[in-house]
Amino acid sequence: MSFLEVRQLSIRLGAFFLDDVSLSLGRDEYLAVIGPTGAGKTILLECIIGFYLPDAGSIFLEDRDITHDRPEDRRIGIVYQDYALLPNLNVFANIAYGLKKQLRDKAEVEQKVLEMAESLHISHILTRHPETLSGGEQQRVALARSLVVEPKLLLMDEPLSALDPRTRREIRTLLRTIIARTHTSIIHITHDLDDAWALADKVAFFSGGRLQQMGTLEDIFHRPATSQIADFVGVSRFSGKVVDSDDNGSVIRVDELILHSVDPAPIGSNVYVALRPEAVRVYRREPRLCEGGTTLSCKLTGMETECNMHHLVFQTGETQIPVLMTTNALTKLEPHVDDMFFVQLDGEAVRLCREI
Amino acid sequence: MRQVSLFRAVLVFLSFLITGTLLLAIGSFFMVPSWSVVWENLQSPELLFSLRLSLWTGALSTVLVMLFALPVGYTLSRFDFPFKGCVKAIVDLPVAFPELVLGLCLLLCFGQSFLGKWLQSMGIHVVFTQTGIVVAQFFTALPYAIRIMKSTYDYINPRLEFVSRSLGYSLFETYVNVTLPLAKSGIMAATVIAFARCIGTFGTVLILAGGSAGKTDTLPITLYLNISYGNMGMALTCGIILTIVSFLAIFVFEKAEAGL
Repeated sequence: MSFLEVRQLSIRLGAFFLDDVSLSLGRDEYLAVIGPTGAGKTILLECIIGFYLPDAGSIFLEDRDITHDRPEDRRIGIVYQDYALLPNLNVFANIAYGLKKQLRDKAEVEQKVLEMAESLHISHILTRHPETLSGGEQQRVALARSLVVEPKLLLMDEPLSALDPRTRREIRTLLRTIIARTHTSIIHITHDLDDAWALADKVAFFSGGRLQQMGTLEDIFHRPATSQIADFVGVSRFSGKVVDSDDNGSVIRVDELILHSVDPAPIGSNVYVALRPEAVRVYRREPRLCEGGTTLSCKLTGMETECNMHHLVFQTGETQIPVLMTTNALTKLEPHVDDMFFVQLDGEAVRLCREI
Repeated sequence: MRQVSLFRAVLVFLSFLITGTLLLAIGSFFMVPSWSVVWENLQSPELLFSLRLSLWTGALSTVLVMLFALPVGYTLSRFDFPFKGCVKAIVDLPVAFPELVLGLCLLLCFGQSFLGKWLQSMGIHVVFTQTGIVVAQFFTALPYAIRIMKSTYDYINPRLEFVSRSLGYSLFETYVNVTLPLAKSGIMAATVIAFARCIGTFGTVLILAGGSAGKTDTLPITLYLNISYGNMGMALTCGIILTIVSFLAIFVFEKAEAGL
């Protein structure tokens, strides 16, 4: 049995609900939970930690049914988006709060707090109160408070979403380091796909109170099971038919296009083709043919800039191909709308997925 | 040129009109009496008895009110249970009840019902006694304190309690370690308002404890009795003391509310 196993969990709390959710997590694994707002992600965490009793289903941690255990008996930590630091206690007392319940020896508590503060680079703010701290500092204190009691499992509910991009990157790096050291299993709810890319071993996509897909980063980001997941993770999906296939991959017809994929599939089957926009290469002049790839002549029909990345839309026949480019690549290309380009898709960029 | 909104001008005028009228009414206490008479009354045994009685019954009732308001307010704020709406409505009912009706209800409950008879058999006499004053004050002030405490708990982020529990503390330990310290301002506000309501309770005390001079005459009852006798000096002195208590209560309440 897995380290954590959620079996057929259902609960309704007003407008929020979970419906027949089953998932499992291995020891030391990092699961990123993604999905639209109101998908039931936070309820999942609060059921696992024991704040809500599910209407049906069960939760096993280390092979033991903890569904009816009290939160204080589960040894599961939680970090919230708003950090939930105790405003009447200073940073030291906040970090020491859980330890004081575990340890009688004050010197030992102090030593552990100091060690954790050192590893999270917050030793200099131990005497300050939460309201005087920046978002990044508060986040580190919340992490320190949760990790210092050595939880079996750490749950994080959008812990980085209130931070500025630079601090978010710093905390991600810190999180990676400290988790590698403490060997903590983690479930992390996030709206920021970069969190999942940077930290997760597995990703679960929730929508409408149901677990829609769970798998590796590769599964979710390259082979999204539904068009909703594809939209969410920024993948373009086309429906097509497999016209040829062998052990090295398959050839798929999408409208009038012929695409090559590294994924094999039965000849004649209808499939969805997933295309990650950053995996598409664009050239002014016709490039050399790449083995197992596809080169298309396309017209640039649209350009938009977002967060220093550029979304370009190319059209070939009736098919639109979105492309994501860095500023550096865009500058070299000097594109203008209505210019003609060559778009190259190698077999790794074209993945096949099934509709569930 | 700055535009003058007629609507805004009318609103400000109405605010000043009502404030001025209230100020005039309250100020009358301090303008009408002769201060030598007030000083003389302040030293009279009748008033000193009323003051002492009001203070100790008010203090005792307030303690009892808070002992119930803290857990009941928390229950209503944090937990869902069957008939929660009914419980909330019944607890709130005395706020809307006329004091005299509440007093009559309590008189029947503690005089005629099985509860009153059982208490009498235990040697606890509520009707027309000083115990009755405490009971009357308790039921009059309790809904106000519960309301304030519920609002206070509502204002405290439940996630702070969730985190405490995830760190190994039981529900009760979390209540003591996290909720109560964060509810400090609300507790202060509820205590002050409860004390002011207890000290100022008239109708409920009059019906349940009677208005016996030298026995159950709290300050509001002394005020009422002296108006009946035509002793305006004593009535005004009682009024001044009650007004000062109310002012202090509102002042502390505002301060506490600002700290919430």
